[in-house]
Amino acid sequence: MNKEIVVIGGGASGLAASIAAKQEGRDVLLIEKEDKLGGILNQCIHNGFGLEVFKEEYTGPEYAEKYIQKFYKLNIDCLLDTTVMNVDKTEEGFEIILSSKETGLKKITCKSIVMSTGCYERTRGSISIPGDRPYGVITAGSAQRYLNIDGYMVGKKVFILGSGDIGLIMARRMHLEGAEVLGVAELMPYSNGLTRNIVQCLNDFDIPLYLSHTVTEIRSNKNNRLESIVIQEVDGSYKPISGTEKNFDVDTLLLSIGLIPDIALLDNLDVEKDNKTKSVKVNQAYETNVPGLFICGNSLQVHDLVDNVSKESERAGKCASDYILSKKTNGNDVIKITAGNNLLFVTPHYINFSWTSRQTVIQFRSTSKIEKGLLTVTQGDTELLKKRLNFVVPAEMETFNLDIDTIQKENDILVNLEVL
Amino acid sequence: MYDYVVIGAGIIGGFVARELSKYNLNALVLEKENDVANVQTLANSAVLHSGHNPEPNTLKSKLCLWGNKLYEELEEELCLPILRTGAYVVAHNKDEELKLLDLVETTKANNVTEYALLDYEDAVKTEPNLAKSITKVLSLPTTKVTYPWEVTFACMENAILNGVEFRKNSEVTKITKTKKGFKITINNKDTLETKYVINATGVNTDDIAAMVEEKVDFKIKPRHGEYFVLDKRVKGFVNHVLYPLPTDLGKGVLLTPQVHGNILVGPDSKFVDDKHRTNNTPTGLQYVKENAKFLADDVPFHQIIRSFAGIRATSNKDDFIIKESKEAKGFYHLAGIDSPGLTAAPAIAKYLVNDVMGVGNQYTENKDFNPIRKKNKEFGSLKYEEQLELIKQDPLYGNIICKCENITEREVLDAINGPLGSNTIKGVKKRCRAGAGLCQGGYCEEKVYKLIVRETNSTPLDVCYDGPESKIFVSETKVK
Repeated sequence: MNKEIVVIGGGASGLAASIAAKQEGRDVLLIEKEDKLGGILNQCIHNGFGLEVFKEEYTGPEYAEKYIQKFYKLNIDCLLDTTVMNVDKTEEGFEIILSSKETGLKKITCKSIVMSTGCYERTRGSISIPGDRPYGVITAGSAQRYLNIDGYMVGKKVFILGSGDIGLIMARRMHLEGAEVLGVAELMPYSNGLTRNIVQCLNDFDIPLYLSHTVTEIRSNKNNRLESIVIQEVDGSYKPISGTEKNFDVDTLLLSIGLIPDIALLDNLDVEKDNKTKSVKVNQAYETNVPGLFICGNSLQVHDLVDNVSKESERAGKCASDYILSKKTNGNDVIKITAGNNLLFVTPHYINFSWTSRQTVIQFRSTSKIEKGLLTVTQGDTELLKKRLNFVVPAEMETFNLDIDTIQKENDILVNLEVL
Repeated sequence: MYDYVVIGAGIIGGFVARELSKYNLNALVLEKENDVANVQTLANSAVLHSGHNPEPNTLKSKLCLWGNKLYEELEEELCLPILRTGAYVVAHNKDEELKLLDLVETTKANNVTEYALLDYEDAVKTEPNLAKSITKVLSLPTTKVTYPWEVTFACMENAILNGVEFRKNSEVTKITKTKKGFKITINNKDTLETKYVINATGVNTDDIAAMVEEKVDFKIKPRHGEYFVLDKRVKGFVNHVLYPLPTDLGKGVLLTPQVHGNILVGPDSKFVDDKHRTNNTPTGLQYVKENAKFLADDVPFHQIIRSFAGIRATSNKDDFIIKESKEAKGFYHLAGIDSPGLTAAPAIAKYLVNDVMGVGNQYTENKDFNPIRKKNKEFGSLKYEEQLELIKQDPLYGNIICKCENITEREVLDAINGPLGSNTIKGVKKRCRAGAGLCQGGYCEEKVYKLIVRETNSTPLDVCYDGPESKIFVSETKVK
């Protein structure tokens, strides 16, 4: 099988990317490891999706359904229940090994790949929480899946570590399902979730949020089930302060401590990495340093809103189409975009002047909460953009556009956020 | 009436059971846990030491050297995973170099014949990330790494194949001496009788001994050790087992390449009161991190996927205790089996069965003994063409369950339904590594529990993480 574009992953990102590429007339194949499209949206049965794209509020499955219907209407080729095992670069493009129960192992080739593999949840192991290792310490997303898709509760007395959005959503969900949710601890002095989720999921249900706190002890009962946890306040360098211990008798600790782009499939390709996003570097067309390899959605950078995933992936799908149509010229002029003061990261990482056909959308996160800020985008001595930004928080990704015609080919671009 | 009851199905109990199955006798292995290899065998460095370190002329010295060689013989018979890493013991200055020379003398006295002293410049050629502060290393090429869980499965499966009985979730709660041997009470309920008992209960050996002895002449002093597991993407960061110079506390914090590509960092070593608590502590983990820096530069701690802790069954004697009880004839202790217990395990079993108990003098040889244990296929480790062939024979190899470790549906089914199958999340992970990778089961645990439900005709509410009371779900949701 030889395709123009293979899209890996059929969640919000892969759906939007494959629809966009198909609408440009490309020969597209989407590969999804689960037995249905929609990805994580399927387990997000709360509302709040679609306000940006559809100007209406949908639940996760409803939002996904909008795209899935479009996808099937366009007759896009699709393999469900199929896992991509390996991706290799060839002279003409890529060779992909995939596997399924139906068809076994298969090699296919394509000219371009759009990676829309989403992200995975950080686990207890990656942050080395001390204590016993009982069952009942579980990532919030897994608990959400068990609850909303499978119909089973993982516990009755719950504490949540990390104020990421899934944790907040699960606090409300477990509470409504009859569990006792004793609190949420957040290491940082500010919440890591959307403000609306703090209000609607915690405040509305009197669930306490412990800022600048972390879990410092986990205790198991004789049956290897979680029995209690201890949380402690942390100082400015995130070290626990002794004397601030609080004990909670719980059978479940949900972890909402971060999402990490799932780019394991890129192991064999020499793709330039970004330590901050934990993903790879791209230019404004979402193309990596491997020509024809595009990446978008949560596998590029973890988003707060699915609407932004869809919009970004649509742009990436169109760029992949442009790549096939050789709309990309062979110019080699590339400049860097650098994250300056108070910025955790900026994407894209490069402006490649051989890509001039599409708009240039810049996204970033701040390193801390900034009430009044001034965003400046400069190139050498030239100011490309200057605007005031209020209430910038790390939990909410910021976006602005640049007109590529105003950018010079010589100097790198610096994005700064000054505190006013 | 059994001839032999082995209490404890760790790696020691496993090798003893297999050794006993070479004779025409009735043997039973009792395990208090819901699985074999679930306490000390679960959590250790997985190193097969060369034998350089023990005090010469001790059981530890003799059985470590012998055990290391036995693994070479057993590799094929039992299909054991063995990684031939070799080891470097490192020295950082003149003072340590002198101690390294002392260690060479110990190595010689222990009859370890393969060793070499290397300058840093030579060692770094095969170990590029070796800490630049190192000046000399003692190279020990016979040091290897294995996978203790699978070694135990292999021994127990083979022992069962050759007629040994096995009961899990069976805690010995009382032992009384009878005319013909012993009466053993299990879980305060059932009783059974046996002529002989073998106490292979690790940290519990002194407590079990106290059931038949007025004065137990040894005491377990549990020694706690903590580890980090690094993701398999670090494969090649170190190629040898890297040891610091040994101290009174043991072999110190090691860097150990593992059979499946991970690297273990640890352990620390501290005596504790609670022999059953294998918790991680901030101080222990910090100690491990700090000490790993003396072995290699820029240890990739950002690739940590898990931390764990284990308890060593160190005793108040300096050596392994392998002997018949003084008070209760026919009752045998395998106690104080801390490092190099894993290495020595096959030799300990032979020494006990042949030299201490003389089983061959009393029982005839089992002529039907089949030494071969077949191993299930590991799909992810095969070449593409081999994978194609395997899927042709069995399409279930085409269904990837754990995508971090490329574990297929067939491998999970083998783990559930195999001769020593398990119906728990942890049991499946121990057998086929589903959930042992980067996402730690975040993706595959759901698929695994559903396969357990299907294969065992149970419901999700029955599925356990480990022990029979560790249910993964507490209830159904209100609306189904």
